[in-house]
Amino acid sequence: MATEARDRIAARERVEARRRQVEAPSTVRDDSDDEMIVSFPEFVFKEFIATVAMTVFLIIVSIWLQAPLLGKANPGMTPNPSKAPWYFLGLQELLSRFPPLMAGVAFPTFVIVLMILVPFLDRNPSRRPSERKVAIILFALYTTVVVALVIIGTFFRGHEFVWDWGWVLGNPQTCGGKPC
Amino acid sequence: MSVIRAAIDEMFSVVGQMVGSVFRHGLPLTDKIAARTALTNFVLHIHPVRVRRSWIRMSYTLCLGGLSFFLFIVLTVTGLYLMFYYVPSTQHAYQDMRDLQFVVTFGGLIRNMHRWAAHAMVITVWLHMARVFLTGAYKKPREFNWGVGTLLLLLTLLLSFTGYLLPWDQLSIWAVTVGTNMAKYAPIAGPYTRYLLIGGRVVGDNALLRFYVLHVVGLPLAAFLLMVVHFWRVRKDGFSGGL
Repeated sequence: MATEARDRIAARERVEARRRQVEAPSTVRDDSDDEMIVSFPEFVFKEFIATVAMTVFLIIVSIWLQAPLLGKANPGMTPNPSKAPWYFLGLQELLSRFPPLMAGVAFPTFVIVLMILVPFLDRNPSRRPSERKVAIILFALYTTVVVALVIIGTFFRGHEFVWDWGWVLGNPQTCGGKPC
Repeated sequence: MSVIRAAIDEMFSVVGQMVGSVFRHGLPLTDKIAARTALTNFVLHIHPVRVRRSWIRMSYTLCLGGLSFFLFIVLTVTGLYLMFYYVPSTQHAYQDMRDLQFVVTFGGLIRNMHRWAAHAMVITVWLHMARVFLTGAYKKPREFNWGVGTLLLLLTLLLSFTGYLLPWDQLSIWAVTVGTNMAKYAPIAGPYTRYLLIGGRVVGDNALLRFYVLHVVGLPLAAFLLMVVHFWRVRKDGFSGGL
């Protein structure tokens, strides 16, 4: 019995040694950025951690914050102000400032077409931020305008969609589109 | 005695075969085993077998594309649960939402998760676009995939917007009235587009049904197909990481 076990261990060690020999990596691991690694498990593990973190985050937020549910829809009673969802509030804000054909149709169409064409309009072959100052500044401006419009539409537009300092000075007339 | 031993041995080998049929290559202790696992596993086949470390640096991707896809999956799963209880008619929709909130087991939690995940997805998709822009990752040979991504951003907004109507409360009906009124301003086609979208002149039963069908079938299917193209192109054009 004992001999048998010793034989088996020896056999296994021979197999392991042979495997190490066959599978000896051609390059030494250097932990550098250029090193090629197998995507499993390292990459997959990173993704797993990210998804778990997101799930935990969502569950905590969902326990803590109730999704809004107001009274039943009543086509006869228009709340004032009526607001689109927050990601369209920038558009609504533009609508309140410019002629509807321009703000509601021409402008969004232009932005979407422009976005799709960006890779063909940007003739600069470099990807280094230091060599793409114009592109980055333009994008930063665009982002600032979009975020500013959404914030204005959400927090600074009250009754009749006129300017309302309520969120800053207290007693806002609206809470993100909902009556308070 | 030996019969029993043989039976136990046989049992172990059957269990071993069962486990082995699922986890075919054992623990990924060597690169070769890991590579074989990545190559033959369906769930993992979305990844290349080998990646350069710089391609997958978290400080570069910030996981934003992957998280957007994950949120899409979360929304699909939670959405299915909500569909069991929700009837898209002006008669039932609102009461079903109340029931989901107060009666259905985990209904409130699942509804909240669906809502917040939808907002989160709008944000992660937007940030993903910002990251791709700021790293110049849309440049040749990825121009086409940038276009696909733009359409996916648009679909994300439309998915969120169509879902907005479904609770059939004062918030949703008027948000959608305001939103669809924008379509009215297009020259010539505008009023027709709006009529087509909400199936009438005011947001009512037809609008609810149309938005529901678009929200649970039409748009997710379109988004899914575009995502398949998007991921396929990422693989074919190569990862952009490692400036």
